Amino acid sequence: MHDLTTDQSVRILDSLPCYVTLMDRRLRVLWSNDAAHRDFGDPLGKTCYELFRVRGDKCSECLVEQSFQDGAIHNKEMTLVTAEGDRIDVLVYSSPVRGDNGEIASVVETAVNISSVKEMQKQLILLGQTVAGLAHGLKNIMMGLDGGIYVVNRGLQDKNQAEVREGWEMVLFNFDKISKIVKDILYCSKDREPNIQEVQPNSVIREVSDLFRETARGYGITLQLDLDEEVTHAEMDPDGLHSVITNLVANAIDACKMDLWKDEHLIEIRSRKGADGSVTIEVADNGTGIDRDTKDQIFEDFFSSKGDKGTGLGLMVTQKIMKEHGGSITFRSRPGQGTTFTAKFPHRET
Amino acid sequence: MAKKILVIDDEPHVVKYITAFLEDSGYDTCSASNGEEGIEVLKKEKPDLVTLDLQMPGDTGTRFYRNMTKSKEFKDVPVIVISGIPGRHLAVSKPVAVFEKPIDRDALLDAVKKSLGE
Repeated sequence: MHDLTTDQSVRILDSLPCYVTLMDRRLRVLWSNDAAHRDFGDPLGKTCYELFRVRGDKCSECLVEQSFQDGAIHNKEMTLVTAEGDRIDVLVYSSPVRGDNGEIASVVETAVNISSVKEMQKQLILLGQTVAGLAHGLKNIMMGLDGGIYVVNRGLQDKNQAEVREGWEMVLFNFDKISKIVKDILYCSKDREPNIQEVQPNSVIREVSDLFRETARGYGITLQLDLDEEVTHAEMDPDGLHSVITNLVANAIDACKMDLWKDEHLIEIRSRKGADGSVTIEVADNGTGIDRDTKDQIFEDFFSSKGDKGTGLGLMVTQKIMKEHGGSITFRSRPGQGTTFTAKFPHRET
Repeated sequence: MAKKILVIDDEPHVVKYITAFLEDSGYDTCSASNGEEGIEVLKKEKPDLVTLDLQMPGDTGTRFYRNMTKSKEFKDVPVIVISGIPGRHLAVSKPVAVFEKPIDRDALLDAVKKSLGE
């Protein structure tokens, strides 16, 4: 091992992948390394809280002061604001630097960017909430299965075919719900390449609307189509397209079910061919609409406004599929009037 | 004469299940799919007990309860709350019993009998 020259020492400090600053007792920044200089600007004449734009005054539990006082190392998590205005989460350590006489002359701080850890933390919290949400959703489904089984048994006992059928439908309905949740979870849990094939979007739309027509009618909702015959075929993942339309129609039905103020509800599925060869699919309903608070959160992972009746997976999967296609999903909504979701698939060369 | 129970839930399957079970247990039933309808059925059928889902769209379960307890005629009709989310029953000040979904049938029947003084 060889001794470092001052020059070399400074270069090493400059190259450290974290912010290094040296402060005096009055919290003035005596020196900062390249990384700090680059992201927070010239420290000349500034205090540390000014440089890092923490706030107008010093931090409530000042690490520098603590290290000056007890000569020990301290740490905490903080949010700093860069010269460009970006907020970054950092883990800060302060450590006393002693002069030749053994007294603490200054305090050095290192701040490591932990934004990615913070992001992961957020995801984990979300995951926890999702699991709790799923458990509630499953409780409802269990109740449905319980009920279906009870009604089937009752029908068998009374030799009542109609009742057996009714009970069996309850069982199947709830079984489908479980299958869908499991499929959605699996879909979200891995990266996959879309299985691009030539599909006829209008046929997929007809297929999905046939699937939902009966359910919709049961709630007094009319399901109607407005299909552009120019949309003959497109390059898409057929399962993905099916999921997108299914999720949007299921949401539209929920929005109509929750709306108690209109006597007649209508859901319209539209297809349009763009001049650039893109295909746009819209699902419009005249249900409850989406209020402002919900609008901001609607595409967030696992977000649901439906209490124990939603899992927050539907639009999460929809958004993932649209991304995989290089497309986009947007919506416009007026509370009390209704909502229109628009999925745009860009043109794709065969 | 058999006692009559009003079942209020927005899920037709749940209504079917609970009414089927209560009928098998010897009660007459009537049902409603939201709170507004619930009030109408309440006035028409004059049930002896109500089972109420508190998580119906538009918060109509809570409103149903408020309207019911405001009326002289029905304010003492016992209410059994059936809910998927724990803690939601707090919206109802005096439920005779609270059940979480999925319900325990025997416990529900016990609660029904007790509230009807059987």
